[in-house]
Amino acid sequence: METSFAITGKGYVIVAADTTASRSIIKMKTDEDKVKTLSPHLLMAYSGEPGDTVHFAEYVERNIRLYQIRNLYPLRPSAAAAWIRRALATSLRSRSPYSVNLLVGGYDTASHDPHLYWIDFLGTMTEVPFAAHGYGAYFALSLLDRYHDPEASLEDGLIALKRCIRQVEERLVVTPGKYKVKVVSKDGIQEIDL
Amino acid sequence: MNTLVQRFSTTSAQSEINKAKALAADDQDFDDFAWGSEAGFGTIAKGVPTFSLPAVPDPRAFLRLHTDDHADPNCRIKIQHGTTTLAFRFKGGVIVAVDSRATAGSYIASGTVKKVIEINPYLLGTMAGGAADCQFWETYLGMHCRLHELRNRERISVSAASKYLSNLVYNYKGMGLSMGTMICGWDKTGPSVFYVDSDGTRLKGNLFSVGSGSTHAYGVLDQGYHWDLSDEDAQELGRRSIYAAGHRDAYSGNTCNLYHIKEDGWHFIGNYDISKMHYEGPGNVPGSENVGYGYDVRVVGRSSANPPPSAPTPVVAA
Amino acid sequence: MSRSYDRALTVFSPDGHLFQVEYAGEAVRKGTCAVGVRGKDVVVLGVEKKSVLQLQDPRTVRKVVMLDDHVCLAFAGLTADGRVLIDKARIECQSHRLTVEDPVTVEYITKHIAGIKQRYTQSGGVRPFGISTLIVGFDPHDTRPRLYQTEPSGIYSAWKANAIGRSSKTVREFLEKNHKDDLTRDETIKLTVKSLLEVVQTGAKNIEISVMEGYGKVTNLALAEIEAIVAEIEREKEAEAERKRSRLAATAAGQAAMSSRAEETGASDAPVQ
Repeated sequence: METSFAITGKGYVIVAADTTASRSIIKMKTDEDKVKTLSPHLLMAYSGEPGDTVHFAEYVERNIRLYQIRNLYPLRPSAAAAWIRRALATSLRSRSPYSVNLLVGGYDTASHDPHLYWIDFLGTMTEVPFAAHGYGAYFALSLLDRYHDPEASLEDGLIALKRCIRQVEERLVVTPGKYKVKVVSKDGIQEIDL
Repeated sequence: MNTLVQRFSTTSAQSEINKAKALAADDQDFDDFAWGSEAGFGTIAKGVPTFSLPAVPDPRAFLRLHTDDHADPNCRIKIQHGTTTLAFRFKGGVIVAVDSRATAGSYIASGTVKKVIEINPYLLGTMAGGAADCQFWETYLGMHCRLHELRNRERISVSAASKYLSNLVYNYKGMGLSMGTMICGWDKTGPSVFYVDSDGTRLKGNLFSVGSGSTHAYGVLDQGYHWDLSDEDAQELGRRSIYAAGHRDAYSGNTCNLYHIKEDGWHFIGNYDISKMHYEGPGNVPGSENVGYGYDVRVVGRSSANPPPSAPTPVVAA
Repeated sequence: MSRSYDRALTVFSPDGHLFQVEYAGEAVRKGTCAVGVRGKDVVVLGVEKKSVLQLQDPRTVRKVVMLDDHVCLAFAGLTADGRVLIDKARIECQSHRLTVEDPVTVEYITKHIAGIKQRYTQSGGVRPFGISTLIVGFDPHDTRPRLYQTEPSGIYSAWKANAIGRSSKTVREFLEKNHKDDLTRDETIKLTVKSLLEVVQTGAKNIEISVMEGYGKVTNLALAEIEAIVAEIEREKEAEAERKRSRLAATAAGQAAMSSRAEETGASDAPVQ
């Protein structure tokens, strides 16, 4: 029952993912961080096929880092998201495709605006003001259509996130439990304890 | 896929395979015996082992067709499956406890299986899923840990060893490997436990249990676990949890093997008969009260009957 | 016939030389000088910068590069070869993190670079890398600074202080005379600059200094800072020279006084005679 959310607001993107790692009916771990910091202003939440997720995320992480070391500046969020989508799309036609769903959120320090990209395991990518993956999406998207504000302060953004989390807790049969929440803004990345 | 890093990398498992192919081609000029014994693996010089695959379009489906005893109880090959293994980290190191039953379908193939694989004096691996897969890959891991030691002049970290195994099995994802293992050890960072399975999942954690009996083991383990356990209490908790699974899970049982990893490496604590633990307890060992773990033994003489307060016992006249 | 020994790289000459590899060493000796000095808990890289042409952007000419957060490399020799090798090393750093999670140790990446170089001395159809490198950094979970050198042949070795490139022999000899164990940060930087000044005549503007003070802590000194250090060294040299001169003057004066007294006494002796 993996769930991840992301919400943009005035100068920031919030990215949140549940922290359970499960195998059949058993929770193997309840504090797994599924939101990766890719560069000083880029976050990626991942979910999907166990094994694929972490392997793909680490592969992306190292390549984004390599780009920064080679060129002395990091990729901008739009470029990074495009690269990630391409990596996923290339693997789609291979013998063993990665089946991973992603939310890529970043702050563009050149144009001073937050960007959020929704990417699924088929290599679909779209830029959105808010996004969700997993069962949470069925509850959160309508909710955010109603309550999302593109100019919301960070406090208000977090309130919207809490609404989503509470809604899922209330209606989903198996609730994911705790969430890891990270925010990226002009000051870089910050972890938030809800 | 995996351009950039993997194409050029010299340490990833994928490139090991590429290198293996290149080397295998190169090595044809030299006879195998020129390299001396290869300990039956034949892979040290050639990188990652290569296997002959059945000449069918989808090896995985083929394997499942002939080994899945859930779907077809009459399948020709029955892979050993049922197990209970557990490992947890606490202030005094790592406790590793496993049962010793091997089942093939409903048949108990062996009651004296060693499910803890001694990778080296500081690393233990546990075995759940396909016994052969675990045994082979963890032994193979052991060889590479030793090579790492020789190349880098320091012991491999538990994190690196587990990652190595995870990368290896991930390369065979979808080809029918079946293993759920915990790589446990003590390195520069202290005690650590990693869960690695054939999906390619790798998790760092304090406490894991794997196998058909794991839910039963978790029931006892989770309730009794905390970081500050004493060595004796931790060992007792490991024993009790394996007993619980051995008692309740039909595919686990026979005996319990217990290991304790400390700063100076692992120590074998003992082998305990699960039936004996049920009736008499594990024997005179530290941490144990030496009474049976069984429910009946524990509650003997206690009753839930709640009769109304009876009239005072009549005094029999003399 | 004998000329063919230095044509094909993988062929030994009868007296056991691989000429192409030795010529690669010559390319290194033509390159600009680079110095590495290890202090107590700091390691410094200093390089001689070629003068930038008037219309050139100096930022595009780099001789000290990061391989990863905690490893720095300087090279001498063919810059183009260096770029290729550096890229291979950077990929390996990330690849190593990807496969074993831990960052590379300085020795590991040195050995890897040396390994690549060695491969290029034993394969057909290639030529060796015309560069030597100095690799500095800190190992993960460790506070000891590291300094390694690699050569075109694929040899690698650890050093307390070393120099590569143009006039490296002079600089190494200078370092051998002046290096002490447990140098402080400032002493290490100063020794680096001082040793570079042995071969760099044009002073601060042609010197680049990178200081590594711990895992992931790297700073490149600004021109003003280097100028200050150079000025200080100049002052010391001046003072030293001054002292020498005054000592010389003193001895000269002493001698003069002596001889004049001798004359005097001689003069006073004269009447006695």
